[in-house]
Amino acid sequence: MSISLETTTSVIFSAKVFIVLSPILLLSFGLVLSLLLIAWRRSQKIIALFTQLILMTTLLLTLHLLLGDILIGNGTQITPLLKVDRFSYLSFVLICFSALAVVSLSGSVLKSEIEVHDEYYLLILLVVLGAGILVVSDHFASLFLGFELLSISLVGLVGYFRDHKYAVETGFKYLILSASASSFMLLGIAFIYSQTGNLSFSVSSNVMPWSPQPLQIFNSLGILLFFSGIAFKLSLAPFHFWSPDVYQGAPTPITLLMATVSKVAMFTALIKCCFSQSYFSNENFIEIITAVALLSMLVGNVLALKQQNIKRLMAYSSIAHFGYLLIVLTVSSLHKIEFAWQGALFYLSGYLLANIAIFTVLLISEKDKDNRCVNRDIDIIDWHGMFWKNRLSALLVTFSILALAGIPLTMGFVGKFYLLNQAVLFKSWWLISGLVIGSGIGLAYYLPLIFTLFKDEATLENQVAGGGSAHLLTTGKQLFMFSLLISGLIFGIFPDLVSQFFYQ
Amino acid sequence: MMLTFVIFGLLLSGSLAWFTDNKTFLGMTFHAKWFALVSVIGFALIFTFSVCLSPLSFQTLQIVTQVSWITSLNINYSLALDHLSITLIILTLFLAIICILVSWDEIQEKSGFYYFNLLATFAGIIGVFSAVDMFLFFFFWEVMLLPMTAIIAIWGHEKRYFAAIKFFIFTQVSSLLMLVAIITMAYIHQQQAGALSFSYHHWLSLELNHDITAYIMLGFFIAFAVKLPSVPLHSWLPDAHTQAPTAGSVLLAGVLLKTGAYGLIRFVIQLFPQASDNFAPFAAILGVVSILYGAKMAFAQTDFKRLVAYSSISHMGFVMLALFSFNEIAYQGAIVTIVAHGLSSAALFSLAGIIYQRIHSRNLSDMGGFWQSAPRMGGFGLAFAAAAFGLPGLANFVGEFLSLVGAFQVFPVMVILAALGLIGSAIYGMVLFQKTFQGNSIKPVQDLSSRELLVSSSLLMMLVILGLFPNLILQFFRGVIL
Repeated sequence: MSISLETTTSVIFSAKVFIVLSPILLLSFGLVLSLLLIAWRRSQKIIALFTQLILMTTLLLTLHLLLGDILIGNGTQITPLLKVDRFSYLSFVLICFSALAVVSLSGSVLKSEIEVHDEYYLLILLVVLGAGILVVSDHFASLFLGFELLSISLVGLVGYFRDHKYAVETGFKYLILSASASSFMLLGIAFIYSQTGNLSFSVSSNVMPWSPQPLQIFNSLGILLFFSGIAFKLSLAPFHFWSPDVYQGAPTPITLLMATVSKVAMFTALIKCCFSQSYFSNENFIEIITAVALLSMLVGNVLALKQQNIKRLMAYSSIAHFGYLLIVLTVSSLHKIEFAWQGALFYLSGYLLANIAIFTVLLISEKDKDNRCVNRDIDIIDWHGMFWKNRLSALLVTFSILALAGIPLTMGFVGKFYLLNQAVLFKSWWLISGLVIGSGIGLAYYLPLIFTLFKDEATLENQVAGGGSAHLLTTGKQLFMFSLLISGLIFGIFPDLVSQFFYQ
Repeated sequence: MMLTFVIFGLLLSGSLAWFTDNKTFLGMTFHAKWFALVSVIGFALIFTFSVCLSPLSFQTLQIVTQVSWITSLNINYSLALDHLSITLIILTLFLAIICILVSWDEIQEKSGFYYFNLLATFAGIIGVFSAVDMFLFFFFWEVMLLPMTAIIAIWGHEKRYFAAIKFFIFTQVSSLLMLVAIITMAYIHQQQAGALSFSYHHWLSLELNHDITAYIMLGFFIAFAVKLPSVPLHSWLPDAHTQAPTAGSVLLAGVLLKTGAYGLIRFVIQLFPQASDNFAPFAAILGVVSILYGAKMAFAQTDFKRLVAYSSISHMGFVMLALFSFNEIAYQGAIVTIVAHGLSSAALFSLAGIIYQRIHSRNLSDMGGFWQSAPRMGGFGLAFAAAAFGLPGLANFVGEFLSLVGAFQVFPVMVILAALGLIGSAIYGMVLFQKTFQGNSIKPVQDLSSRELLVSSSLLMMLVILGLFPNLILQFFRGVIL
């Protein structure tokens, strides 16, 4: 006992651990610094810039670590709580990138208010920190810590504009549901602990009492409850009821934060846990996954069909997308785990890029509508004929929606290709048919949305020009949108550029 | 290399046409249509000459380009040509010129974007006809779909959105089934040969005797049967054809349907000989049902384009029947039918477009007596209708005759039934001609302009030449044993 303790203490202070953990440390340090900054001077501009700076350096540092050889191998265990490997840092890159996008997009929303919004940026940094802890966690305790840090900061952000129409409703809904989700999860973890006596993910499989044998009742209940807690966060059916309302009610950059950072982090934690505990070799677990996945694909796509509000539509479509993504949990054998990670990360990056693009355009249209003092909600009809007014945003939206629909030339297609590969390897024909049918239904709402962009403006002369006329776009924003479009196209045609990161 | 140049050249000149449309440089105003026409003619000439001058013999599939694309999954960018794909690519390029000519005056709005879509579709189709890496094939298969949908949805007629969505969903869902089949084949290759491969040539050497082969074959078959189209997966076609602008219909009927036939020949029959042999009776029944059903439905239509659309279903039924009888004569018949139908349906749809421009209606009851005011149009109309119902001397006759003769040795009863379709086609062909050109003259129309004359006469000339000298095509398909 004493020997093992000693080794852990020596590991904690080794230089390698410090280097490996540096992005997360940097982020926490930046948080403290920004608190000090607020004490020194309260200025919207400075805090926004500082937040961007922190996120950017964290992103670059993580990328630097990924390109170096320090992460090669099975990952670095840092105390029993954390374990850093390539895949967790790859999703941390995705998280930082989307947070950076959120912070840059928030400016236009915050400008319309009078106060200084330091808390807003602090909360975003806290969300990112929570997400960072989630992706590197290797223990149920650290997972829960990250989970709560992420959820509580998000609750604050969801109802941030307290004088907005939906603020109270949305905040409450999210608070209550995420609290119940975490209590489910906590109970599940307790059940699992009662059977195994260990909270670590990487219990060696011969210690695990359940691995080869059928699950005992507490253990299966525990895993079920744990999974449903995460499913709440990922808004998988049947735990999806909160997501359209919260998506619609939250400020748009925060919706983007929920759709990207929170979901990517939760999903990474889920697969990390499932892979290291080899849940996939358990038939009951696979059955549950299959059922939830099929349900999410169908429910998400069917309910999206009649949506008019774009944020609600995105909420339903993301339900379906995480249903597709659950396919990566069905891994056929241990040495296919690497491939599953690649598929998941590729799919997530495609999903992320598409979401960021759509929300960017959404924010521009919202601002446009706001300037004319009309209701902020953007409906599909507001994007009528956007292509003929503002070609760049319309092309970006078209391309992103095609990516969500999984059409070639986009990253979405390559992601779907990975998922199909995995499903074929596992021979899960149910999931394959779900994916095919789901994508078919999905087209029935993605395509009309695209067609709306191309419709003639002449037919609806009096309609508000919600498409965001070109003059509203600053050069920076145009550049940002252009680079999103180009990078989506390039990564979609040459997926090797992304997937080379997945190999050592 | 040359093929890649043609494909990307078409894409590139499409984008150039889009960006330079109606812009003035150095005192000259650029028009997308001129740009598109010149570049398509240029690429057609380049392709034809380089194939003629090529030292390769295209009797078997010759790989012309191979570059590594996605290394992690062993996917290559590889293109190959043989006589089948060369024939179809030349047909595509010829109809591409026709497409541009028929949209000359029709497309006035957003013309730059229109020609971009048109050229992108051509590029995609040529890619489909030449890709031999299955991932690449799938890629092109979808790439040709997107601009085609845009053409229907933006420049189509009154119910264009519905038609475009229906077209897209049918093709997309069926092609996802094909994608699953493709991935499964790649993993079967991994099991047998040790490495993942999407290469068509590698797949040919696989030993396929599992039960799963039948399902894989079905995955491919469904995707191609939707495109062909065959009953019962045909219902997108009448809507898409009717609502598309003229060039869209020409493109759909003339070339896009042929990608289905091409897929059946190259992938279903050649990759899964055993499984498709077992499946042949069902496919033949589907073919016969398509022939008769298409003919019957064509007869009942009151819309010019819808009538021609249903007649396409009927004609492609012959192709299906002929292909699945595994007989050399029938195979040759199928090839001639593919080319001939491409020309004759393109001709009829162009005629529909020409009439629509004059009377702004596709309804047969608004037409009648056009012969009096426009005799030249009437003459071409008669010739094209005659081609559609298989008058000897025109290309369709050769194709259908050979198909039926070949298939008779294998499926005698079905061929007897299918032959009834010929009578049906004569009936709807005559109905079409009579309602349009004969009877009381409702209103006088302008006769063909010189551009329309060029389109019609070049199509008719090709039909007559292939009808009289079918050996021009057949010589390349001798001794092909399926």
